[in-house]
Amino acid sequence: MNARNRELLGLVPASLLIVAGFGAVFLQEQTQLDNLSLTYGAIFLGLCFAAHLIIRVRLPDADPYLLPIIAVLASIGLVVIYRLNETLARDQAQWFVIGLIAFAATIIFLRDYRVLERYRYLIAAGSLVLLLLPRVPGIGQQANGAYLGISLGPVSFQPAEFAKIGIIIFLASYLRDTRALLVSRKRFGITLPRLKHIGPLLLVWGLAMLMLVFIRDLGSSLMFFGGFLAMLYVATDRLIFPVVGFGLFAIGAWFFATTVGHVGDRISAWQHPFDPKLYEQIGGSYQIAQSLFAQADGGLWGEGFGQALISVGDSPILPAAQTDLIYAVIVNELGLIGGIALLLVYVLLIERGFRIAVLARDSFSKLLATGLTTVVALQVFVIVGGVTKVIPLTGVTLPFVSYGGSSIVANFVIVALLLLISDRARREARR
Amino acid sequence: MLQPTAIVLQGAFLLVLFLFVAWVVRSTLRDLRRPDEQRVAGPTPADATGIHSAVTAGAAPSGPGDPRLVVERAPGHTPGMEYEIAGGAVLGRGEQAEIRLEDPYASSAHARLVLQGGRVVLEDLGSTNGTFLNEETVSGPQPLHQGDRVRIGDSEFLFVDS
Repeated sequence: MNARNRELLGLVPASLLIVAGFGAVFLQEQTQLDNLSLTYGAIFLGLCFAAHLIIRVRLPDADPYLLPIIAVLASIGLVVIYRLNETLARDQAQWFVIGLIAFAATIIFLRDYRVLERYRYLIAAGSLVLLLLPRVPGIGQQANGAYLGISLGPVSFQPAEFAKIGIIIFLASYLRDTRALLVSRKRFGITLPRLKHIGPLLLVWGLAMLMLVFIRDLGSSLMFFGGFLAMLYVATDRLIFPVVGFGLFAIGAWFFATTVGHVGDRISAWQHPFDPKLYEQIGGSYQIAQSLFAQADGGLWGEGFGQALISVGDSPILPAAQTDLIYAVIVNELGLIGGIALLLVYVLLIERGFRIAVLARDSFSKLLATGLTTVVALQVFVIVGGVTKVIPLTGVTLPFVSYGGSSIVANFVIVALLLLISDRARREARR
Repeated sequence: MLQPTAIVLQGAFLLVLFLFVAWVVRSTLRDLRRPDEQRVAGPTPADATGIHSAVTAGAAPSGPGDPRLVVERAPGHTPGMEYEIAGGAVLGRGEQAEIRLEDPYASSAHARLVLQGGRVVLEDLGSTNGTFLNEETVSGPQPLHQGDRVRIGDSEFLFVDS
């Protein structure tokens, strides 16, 4: 069976999930939902098939499992969002259309993705501007103390989702050039690169710290910096870089946690979620505590679709259920079993990503695939770790599952890039 | 008040999810167990490299008499890789270079190989860090002989023409 037929076969589980999930939700909540809403599921499946056709025509050798994996993730997300709110499910289906357009455009216009290297400084500068946009008065928005979104008229989006792709492209290109220099100088028996070579890298560390101060979001800062350290480790094969890097990050995070009020609040809410004072406080530990209650309530097998208590009247029981806490909703309704299944699908996605990096032949492709995969992996870690109280909760999305336009579109672009790298690598390996 | 059909559908949902995971894991394990094609085939043939290759895809395989550069060691290249240079080639870090070096010490157009009167001649193109022929700096055009070593930064090649 060739790769593309395998990919088509892999879309069958996604369609079964959509049918079973929508069916179960529909039966449970018949009073609130109408027949028409089931068409969102059909639209979604049509989109998966369209994506498959684009890959079949343009990237015949690309990894066959990537698309089925994201289709499965997206169908889980769509079912849960449909269960939470019918209107949001329709919006999400529309975002999938836009995401698919971005996906197709990336594959068609970036056939030779290595041209990105030529514009690396432009891409880096653009990404920095995007990152700082939420702090621009007038268009920036503050949510729970963090500056992540901007709104332009009716559309609001999170520029950091796109900035992360740009920064990874820049780092992949930059590290390809300088990786030999970074390890070439030894002093006192340890690798000690010259300042002019390590300078831009220190700049990235500074950037991560700046994000903590300006955007006030520990999660996305960790995501960027972790992705950067992973690429640095892959490029140089020296464990000292990530070790020192995480040390620096820890020192910086500790410093800002004790000085910037918002970051500190998040950390105390994480340490003592059940403290009555923090629980009652606005912006306190209510969200994380409710998330833990919901997951405990789900037990091993879950309460069943449509059973999670999302809000009573106007007061939310699970705040931001469709974005930040979607993992808690899934665990409440599908149980630990469902949560594990979801995390396993993410593990598969990450495994495919790293496999693409291993197969790629040139350094730029390797580093790009590593960086993109790591950032997706860290994003899952940051949000799932947040709702399960492993790390302080921050508002990033669960890739492909959470409701959110910019996240869907950006993640589709990431997958398109991975498929482009994979197509080239596998074609060359086969020859 | 769960409806029985809904419970069945939810069970089916989880079952499909786990079967999907099992399917991908199985295929992945099979991929990993299969011996790596590259390792079995030994040194990668020159036309398999795409990005580094000086020859266009589908060109005739090089005969024994064609002049070639064999990679001894070079960042981003597999040792043993061969470049066909009968048509001349530019070595460098830039995108125009036929033999693309991922070497921080290389200039974008570092050195060039041209065919003059049946001999391959190596010429430095005014590079910053110099080109070395058998560890001596190249100044002016130098004809290459069987077994000559060409070094640019950390990238070293062996010249073969028989």
